[in-house]
Amino acid sequence: MITIEHLKKTFKKNKVEAVKDVTLEIRDGEIFALLGPNGAGKTTTMRMLSTLLTPTQGTILYDGKPLAEESDSIRRRIAFLTNEIRLDGQFTPDELADYYGGLYEMTPESISANRDKLFDYFGISEFRDRRYETFSTGMKQKTSLAICLLHDPDTIIFDEPTNGLDILTQHLIEAYLVKLKEQGKCIILSTHILDLVARMADRVGIIVDGRSVFCGTVPELPQSQGVSTVEEAFIKLYKENHEEKAIIGRHGKE
Amino acid sequence: MRGLGKIFHHEMQKILKEKTLLFGFLILPVLTLFVTVGISLLQPRTGQEQNSSYVMYFYGIDMEKTNIGSVDDKQIWVENIDVAPEEFIKSDKFHKCDVLVDFSDIECVEIYYHQSDSVSAYLKMSAESFVRQSFDQVYKRMNQSVVFRSVDVKDITLKESNNRMIAMLLPYMLILPLTANIANFAGDTVAGDKARGTFYQVMLSPVPPISLIMGKILSVSLISLFSSGLYIGIDVIGSKVCEALHTKDVFGFAGVSITVPQVLLILLYAVLLCYLFSNLGVLISLFCKDANQAQTAQLPVTLACTLASMMSMFRLGSSPMSHYLIPVYNICLIFQDLLNSRAKMENMVMVAVSLLVLAVLVLLTTLLSYKSEKVRT
Repeated sequence: MITIEHLKKTFKKNKVEAVKDVTLEIRDGEIFALLGPNGAGKTTTMRMLSTLLTPTQGTILYDGKPLAEESDSIRRRIAFLTNEIRLDGQFTPDELADYYGGLYEMTPESISANRDKLFDYFGISEFRDRRYETFSTGMKQKTSLAICLLHDPDTIIFDEPTNGLDILTQHLIEAYLVKLKEQGKCIILSTHILDLVARMADRVGIIVDGRSVFCGTVPELPQSQGVSTVEEAFIKLYKENHEEKAIIGRHGKE
Repeated sequence: MRGLGKIFHHEMQKILKEKTLLFGFLILPVLTLFVTVGISLLQPRTGQEQNSSYVMYFYGIDMEKTNIGSVDDKQIWVENIDVAPEEFIKSDKFHKCDVLVDFSDIECVEIYYHQSDSVSAYLKMSAESFVRQSFDQVYKRMNQSVVFRSVDVKDITLKESNNRMIAMLLPYMLILPLTANIANFAGDTVAGDKARGTFYQVMLSPVPPISLIMGKILSVSLISLFSSGLYIGIDVIGSKVCEALHTKDVFGFAGVSITVPQVLLILLYAVLLCYLFSNLGVLISLFCKDANQAQTAQLPVTLACTLASMMSMFRLGSSPMSHYLIPVYNICLIFQDLLNSRAKMENMVMVAVSLLVLAVLVLLTTLLSYKSEKVRT
């Protein structure tokens, strides 16, 4: 379980407060969707969750352990994938698996077992000897996902995982995320596709202007706003909280 | 240093698999061989550019300037000199095909010539024959019954002592390709990785920052050092080829004579210098968005280092001890001192220590920078 309390991030260089006050709770065995308009602070929050950035204030607890103190051991348990993160194009999926598996100190046997399982699922096996740079966008994303999950992480953080992918690849990835959820893993998704949220997510957190304005189950979101759809609820919350009208630390019912 | 070996291996593979980088560090130096030889072929042939005849110089004996025949349609002249042979052979008057006969010690006549040149070898044999015939005639004229001691004719083969030339050029020839290569490799391996999004994937792994940084520095160092060594090696080979073709030895490296300890010490300092430059390159590249920006950002370092190496080329005599504290310039001085066999232990130690201190400081700065937001966003 991940507990985020009053998280704040101010970038020193331009003094921008990317995240002002985010408080969320993400449980094991659930798909948690992080919603918010562009520039709301979702990516910065996810970068802090993945240890890439250090919070200015606030705490992040992984199973009660503070991330700031246990970042090395926690990093072994998480996977972070965004569209910005790519793999070295000169290498084949097999070479990449060996390299990244080695960085996580996996044994050759476990690398081989996990790699075969993931490559088979994502249909990479027949292209395992081809260079990553020769792949299509979808194949690259599937390979990145497979490599990312190679070390069998407990927590998977995806920033817009199906962005720019064809419908078949989207379904394949979505189905795998559900499979991971069923294995008891914690999945955090950042997306703009509200249909995906309604279809897949168990719980949802909404960030507007760097502040968390809702954290609850998907059915609770429209209920709490007195509307019928997730989309309507999101727009209502955005309008209420945009331009410094944010209610600090407000959360929906759970 | 967990994961260091894996990162180093991966980075090396990455460079070796990248065709554009491969061209820069492997193909380009080989191409310079053709440039070196090509330039030399455009030069006039040695021995013909300044003199239209060959001269057999005599010292310590009165000889009238006489024509004694010809070789390759060129006249051979006998001429007398007053300047001491040691000085004369270093002057511009003594060309590669000429021969100098030193009669100053009658018991041991010395003949100076260039062994590598066939015309010179021929003239040397002629001179030796001339000396023996002259003595025979003198003996016969004096008293045929008197037995004289035999006269030694000693060959003084002129090995071109061109260490001075390589000492002058080595810092420049090493530092220029080294800084250029490092700007290229460090830019690609750090800023290029950031632009491609591959840097973050490693940052997210449990590998300690020092392993990631050192893995990149060591791979950049090794490949850059290899490439720079290749440039120098190619120039030496080029010089040898030019010599074999009897053309001008463009860099004057053909007659270089370096001992194993000299090579090892030069290599040690080159490794230290390479590590320092690579670390600087990685540090600068950490703050850049892509490889092009990183290469541009490293340009001042490249220029400053090249300038320091060029300044060392115009050094006269030995330098004061304070000069051995100027980064980069000090290593150029050490290279020159080592090649000219005048390196002092205290200067060598001082340069090595200053380089190590600088390297540690740059590494610490790099590790601190690795945690900064600008690097991680």
